[in-house]
Amino acid sequence: MHEVSIDTSLLKIAVDNCKKEGYKGIELIKVKVGRASGIMPDALSFAFDAVKIGTIAEKATLTIDKIPVSGFCEGCKNSFTVDEAFVISCPQCGHISIRVETGHELHIYEMDVF
Amino acid sequence: MKVKVVSHILEANDRIAAENKKLFKESGVYAINLMSAPGAGKTSLLEKTIQELRGDLKIGVIEGDIAGSDDARRIANLHVPVVQINTGGACHLDANMISEVLGDLPLKELDLLIIENVGNLVCPAEFKVGENIKVMLLSIAEGDDKPLKYPLMFEESSALILNKIDLLPHTNASIEKIRKNSLSLNPKLKIFEVSCRTGEGIGKWVKWLQSLIK
Repeated sequence: MHEVSIDTSLLKIAVDNCKKEGYKGIELIKVKVGRASGIMPDALSFAFDAVKIGTIAEKATLTIDKIPVSGFCEGCKNSFTVDEAFVISCPQCGHISIRVETGHELHIYEMDVF
Repeated sequence: MKVKVVSHILEANDRIAAENKKLFKESGVYAINLMSAPGAGKTSLLEKTIQELRGDLKIGVIEGDIAGSDDARRIANLHVPVVQINTGGACHLDANMISEVLGDLPLKELDLLIIENVGNLVCPAEFKVGENIKVMLLSIAEGDDKPLKYPLMFEESSALILNKIDLLPHTNASIEKIRKNSLSLNPKLKIFEVSCRTGEGIGKWVKWLQSLIK
């Protein structure tokens, strides 16, 4: 719902890093967005194209790696991955002692600069 | 040329939130981020809480709304320091908005600062503002399906206040279902059943609040 704020933050991190390293512009920004982060990848891409205008990332592409919710069940000792934004019990055995390991990501991890 | 930048996108917000938190600690203020959907009764809960704690704890309030200052006026009527933030469209408060108004509150004189977030069951849960804990309200009339529809806020909160329990006979909502699903998402969640209209249950909530601060 607030993808514009997220794009503004990620652009600031990218632009600050680019300038600090002495480069002129950004061609590509790669981010990881977890399914449980509350951020919709499509909205993030859409807002990115509006927010980047007038910055040194004006021509940049945003690549989003979508990370599913996954974890480990202490009951059946198996790993699991679900196609939902959250998980409250093991999808295999129903046990509630689970450890969620991925899905909350909201990270910028790489960019191409020139 | 590839550059590796491993950084959380909300890092800038989290940094300012950490500064706010440090300032609260230095000033001896316990800060609560109060969140709910619009109309769940955040301001009513504040009014009741302030009345109950009058003479015991010094309370300050930050009101976050997209527009208007009705809520701040309601709180000001109770003679406690209050600042209104209008986000001008933003669906949540962020750490920077809080940082900008802290100078308008007598922090050193306060024991408790309650930050009433913008009414929204989604975004406020994602932005730290420097609080010690997050507390959420859910009114019975919103329905018992909310924990599983909006899990993040239930996961992030330390306490869940179920408001408007006086309306229970008029709805199909099941408190048991809300409890069960909320606790599945967050086993440590402290749950209070209250009615800000009749005052039922407010005492237990206030007592718990006092135990955190003293």
